[in-house]
Amino acid sequence: MGALKMKSSSSTGTHGPAKLWPWTLEEACVGSAASRAKGLLTCEKQEHLLRLVILILAAVLSFATRLFSVLRFESVIHEFDPYFNYRTTRFLAEQGFYKFHNWFDERAWYPLGRIIGGTIYPGLMLTSAALYRIMWLLNITIDIRNVCVFLAPFFSSLTVLVTYALTKEIHSTGAGLVAAALISIVPGYISRSVAGSYDNEGIAIFCMLFTYYLWIKISFVGFQPIQSSEHMLALGVFGLCQIHAFVDYLRSRIPKDHFEQLFKTLVSSVLTLVLVLGTLLTITGKVSPWTGRFYSLLDPSYAKNHIPIIASVSEHQPTSWSSFYFDLQILVFLFPAGLYFCFSKLTDSNIFIILYGVTSIYFAGVMVRLMLVLAPVMCVLSGIAISHLLAKYIKSVDGGGTPKPTDSKRHHKKLEQQTGGVKSEVAIGFVGIITMMLIVYTLHCTWVTSEAYSSPSIVLSARSHDGGRIIFDDFREAYYWLQMNTPEMPVLCPGGTMGYQITAMANRTILVDNNTWNNTHISRVGQAMASSEEKAYEIMRELDVDYVLVIFGGLTGYSSDDINKFLWMVRIGGSTDRGAHIKEKDYYAANGEFRVDKEGSPTLLNCLMYKMCYYRFGQMYTEGGKAQGYDRVRAAEIGNKDFELDVLEEAYTTEHWLVRIYKVKDLPNRGV
Amino acid sequence: MFKILYIYFLILQCFLCASKTNAEIINTNVERLLDLSSQLVKTTIKITAEETTGKTITEYVFLVADPNLAFISLKDDTEKNILLRKNKEDLNGDQTFTFTFKKASPTQTFVIETVSSKNIRPHPVEIEQNDKQLVKYNGSLYFYSKYKTRTQKTNVKLSSSNILFHTQQKPFSVGANRIILGPYEDIEALSQQELVVHYENQTPFLTVNTLERTIELSHWGNIAVKEEIQLTHAGAKLKGSFSRYDFQKEGRSDHSAVKSYKTYLPASASGVYYRDTNGNISTSNMNLVRDFIELELRPRFPLFGGWKTKYTLGYNVPSYEYMYNDGNKYQLKMHLIDHIYDNMVIDEAVIKIILPEGSTQIKFSTPYQISRRPNELVHTYLDTIGRPVVTFSKSNLVESHIADFTLNYSFEKVSLLQEPLLVSAFIYVIFLFTIVFLRLDFSITSHSHKE
Repeated sequence: MGALKMKSSSSTGTHGPAKLWPWTLEEACVGSAASRAKGLLTCEKQEHLLRLVILILAAVLSFATRLFSVLRFESVIHEFDPYFNYRTTRFLAEQGFYKFHNWFDERAWYPLGRIIGGTIYPGLMLTSAALYRIMWLLNITIDIRNVCVFLAPFFSSLTVLVTYALTKEIHSTGAGLVAAALISIVPGYISRSVAGSYDNEGIAIFCMLFTYYLWIKISFVGFQPIQSSEHMLALGVFGLCQIHAFVDYLRSRIPKDHFEQLFKTLVSSVLTLVLVLGTLLTITGKVSPWTGRFYSLLDPSYAKNHIPIIASVSEHQPTSWSSFYFDLQILVFLFPAGLYFCFSKLTDSNIFIILYGVTSIYFAGVMVRLMLVLAPVMCVLSGIAISHLLAKYIKSVDGGGTPKPTDSKRHHKKLEQQTGGVKSEVAIGFVGIITMMLIVYTLHCTWVTSEAYSSPSIVLSARSHDGGRIIFDDFREAYYWLQMNTPEMPVLCPGGTMGYQITAMANRTILVDNNTWNNTHISRVGQAMASSEEKAYEIMRELDVDYVLVIFGGLTGYSSDDINKFLWMVRIGGSTDRGAHIKEKDYYAANGEFRVDKEGSPTLLNCLMYKMCYYRFGQMYTEGGKAQGYDRVRAAEIGNKDFELDVLEEAYTTEHWLVRIYKVKDLPNRGV
Repeated sequence: MFKILYIYFLILQCFLCASKTNAEIINTNVERLLDLSSQLVKTTIKITAEETTGKTITEYVFLVADPNLAFISLKDDTEKNILLRKNKEDLNGDQTFTFTFKKASPTQTFVIETVSSKNIRPHPVEIEQNDKQLVKYNGSLYFYSKYKTRTQKTNVKLSSSNILFHTQQKPFSVGANRIILGPYEDIEALSQQELVVHYENQTPFLTVNTLERTIELSHWGNIAVKEEIQLTHAGAKLKGSFSRYDFQKEGRSDHSAVKSYKTYLPASASGVYYRDTNGNISTSNMNLVRDFIELELRPRFPLFGGWKTKYTLGYNVPSYEYMYNDGNKYQLKMHLIDHIYDNMVIDEAVIKIILPEGSTQIKFSTPYQISRRPNELVHTYLDTIGRPVVTFSKSNLVESHIADFTLNYSFEKVSLLQEPLLVSAFIYVIFLFTIVFLRLDFSITSHSHKE
């Protein structure tokens, strides 16, 4: 790890000056045209070589900096959603495309199941399965898991190249190189593309930038997605352009009064037609209604007021200012400068990049996860800004301010403008500041990557008293136990987030997973957790579950456990008709707080979730100087210590009590 | 009724036929040591046989009625350990082993050692978390032999002094974790009587259900060993719930649940990994002890009765320790199986040896019988025609089976260059492609060049 840190920082260190070279070089070459023939490499060739070296270095760096987690932990899939992608990819790689396309997954959403082939976007899976197949064809017998783990870093390397190409089209080669170097380590992008985070975002950014690049290079309009309303806008804009052209054509042909009359009738009739058609299509289900996630994008308060389940996902929260700085650092300040330079020379492609930048910064402000879309354009615009400014000042560094008139004649007009009237000292100072900023940026990015974005949430680590690292591997312990030692029975995991991991790692059927499409189903689970044991037993019988799994952090101090998420479960449970009796306020203490100690509400202290988490916890000593049953997350001694479970039995609890698995007892024999 | 008669008839018949051929051999003294302190039944039988008519004994036939016999070897004054090979014909369903003596003498003294698995069974079959594991051994009270035995004594070694029941055939004496049965005088040939011992045994009852050992050979100086192991706790099954609180409170080491066990690897092993389908298992310790590496493996979860786990253990060893060559002829000598845990039982082992690409004339020999499977070909990194794989399997293995196999093959040294050449050619092509690519213009509109 230390070695990698050294390597990445030193190689980015060379980047700072490297970015300056093409410009100094160009000037040197232009300046000494006579010596060109003498050298081994001509100026053009040297430039090619340099450009290649810088690009390859940036690409390699972008791959290497994403490997922190692999080196520190191991080559595993991170987080939760990637486990679903991983599982489907494995299926695709093993069973082939047709089986995949017709795959009905009975493991998810018991007892409903899920048609995987038809309900997912298979691009990611197809890409990695294709890579896997190609490599096996060449006798590179790599594991499909490793393909998935390293896919995102690989594509981020490609993103570096594409960013270069895009920025080069918009501005210049130098700006392209700077942008490529910037994007290779920008935390906003790394957060979603470290080795192991196997999600659509990893590929999406590459595809997006590649599309934009092609768009700018060749005028390009896509027709594909006309059924989903999220994509309707693109089609609408295209249609409007046609209409606008048509109207212009008419205007030139028809007298003015006639035209106005025609225009009015046309507009009103078209509007009514569109409205009627739209409602008809939406009612018949041809056009899917806009999803809640989309509404919350336009109106940040929408989810909070309407669908608690969308609001409960932390990724959908609005972004705070500090996270902008954390993820983008100096790019935040260079962004406006880049915008200015784009405005100063308006071309089609510049307008496009301005629009992209401005809209994405709004969306990134609404939802944390859209930071990902913002990061590339930040890099592009900052690249333009840095390269533009450096190009202007670097010439004056050793030229002593005013260039000789004989030289300037040979220069391009553009170059002449750039070298105008800056003193050497100012230029040196300015270049120094920019270099410092870039170095600080590099250090910041490396630090953020290593500290914040490189821990696979499947393995937790903590520091012990003597500074050593303790690893909590409880999740995999539980999943492996489930896989090895339980019959193939459905598992209920009320927290939800662990769902994908259970299906992928424990190979067991799951009731509720991360995909939050069926509100009533989740609500029923929430009701079970919020009810007393007897009522919960009925619901669990109805849901036909055999094992229940809860995440409990009271012993270790892991704060995102099921008790802390419990209020969401109560809200979701109470949001449907059948759970109308579950009221959030019943779970608060008299003074309106959510407490688990003696002051807590009796409903809470006797509900199933509480009992499952704290079963026999009342006898444990957790922290020195505290009473038995001291919960380290809530910092309170639990209120209900001495109870037995009637309808459940403890089947397994992991070493640090992080995961507790209960077996639902069978119905008692009649007459006993 | 008929059945008993039939068996009786059979026994009589074979007794008669036995007495015809070797009527004069009798066992004058037999001392048996039955070691029941682990999950294995280890028997050491010291036999003094005599030819009553004074002829020399050349052949001795040893009978084993136990179908779970895993290993048998013989020791006499002249030679050390000799592995006995099973005769082709059985005698009334019993396995027979014939041994020919080197030394000609009317009295012979020798020691036979057998190891069998699965003869000690948990009783009761299910226990609760804090209960002690009780087991029952069913065996033979008398030394089962083709010949008459004049005097015999059996020494039973147990794992604890907690004995619930044992066969009460006098004379016997019971000491601390030890029962001495006998001496019994003049027992007829082929006589059988059941010996039952019901006692406490908290030693780990682990069984390896399947072991897949892959040895991958490289002529670049490395041998990679990978073992895929599926383990079951074959002791008394856990009844009712598992309580982590009780488990942590107890902390006893003599509990029947298995928290960890020790695996021994060769001293030169490096790059050891211990993982399963979910990734690395982060709980293990490695110590270098004099001439081997002791690996303390902790499964992800403690193994209670009936619980299973599955993992992969792999390491690398330098090839100079196991490979010998003479020109193009190579020889590999390695352990067929290796130590997994003390007193291990392996139900089924499949061993695969992957040879370098281009190996021919493969000859293979093992110290004991194995069932050979057809050779295969695998294709992996930088392969063109594929590497030959020697595969074989063997069931019911114990620690005594850890022994070397010998594999001879020939390999042209020139083929070593194939892989680096392949890589160089690939890089060369990339450079060539780049050179061509940079000289071509792919832009749609033609740029007017400056100057």
